[in-house]
Amino acid sequence: MAKVAREMVERAGVNVDQLLELLIKNAAAELTTYYYYTILRANLIGLQGESLKEIAEVARIEDRNHFEALVPRIYELGGKLPDDMVEFHNISACPPARLPEDPNDVMAILKVLVEAERCAVRGYTQICNMTAGKDHRTYDLALAILNEEIEHESWFSEFLGEGPSGHFMRRGETSPFVSKFLK
Amino acid sequence: MREFTLQELAEFDGRDGRPAYVAYNGKVYDVTESFLWRGGRHQAMHDAGRDLTEALELAPHGPEFLEKFPVVGMLKEGGEGDAEDDGG
Repeated sequence: MAKVAREMVERAGVNVDQLLELLIKNAAAELTTYYYYTILRANLIGLQGESLKEIAEVARIEDRNHFEALVPRIYELGGKLPDDMVEFHNISACPPARLPEDPNDVMAILKVLVEAERCAVRGYTQICNMTAGKDHRTYDLALAILNEEIEHESWFSEFLGEGPSGHFMRRGETSPFVSKFLK
Repeated sequence: MREFTLQELAEFDGRDGRPAYVAYNGKVYDVTESFLWRGGRHQAMHDAGRDLTEALELAPHGPEFLEKFPVVGMLKEGGEGDAEDDGG
């Protein structure tokens, strides 16, 4: 644990235990989403599915990166991941992004993807609100993740016909915002 | 439809297998089946068995998420107001 780092956050008025619970739940959401997106991506086939596969893959890899980036901050603040993987899955901040009953229904898969991203956008907005001006390191991390989650939501929402997002898909890179936490 | 006082509502805290109820704007919702209310706790900040009317003002989502769940009663007149002290 980074003792003074935690103390500074506490002194700034943040409930660190509550913050840790949120960080752990969101780390669980990232890792479980990485798992479920693996299945969704594998089922994105055919004329409709193939057009989504690339962005689903980028979102999948970036969600795994988010998990990797969150873990050091959890331990720095004195937290830890649960010993039991099942428990970790079940405390996720977002519901499982399960494959729809009809795996050929690309629109249903798309709705699962966009809802997962929207859950993440809400979660990191909450962490940013809680840490802004108080816990600079967690805020910086949560904001970097939020930037990527918003782009993921935008990509998928365009396919749902919700209008243009103004974003373009990645050009060979992943995690343009979070990569600084992975070095 | 059943009427709940805040004290009665507090019994439905979602812990130890008990149902999880929360109140919003006078209505009592059953969120027991929600993945995000497992164990009667939501996003590290909210507990079941409470009136979340004020807390929802600060949440990163609107009441539409609660309104998907069954209404099981009404909060008794004068029983409104956020019983949470974490504000979240």
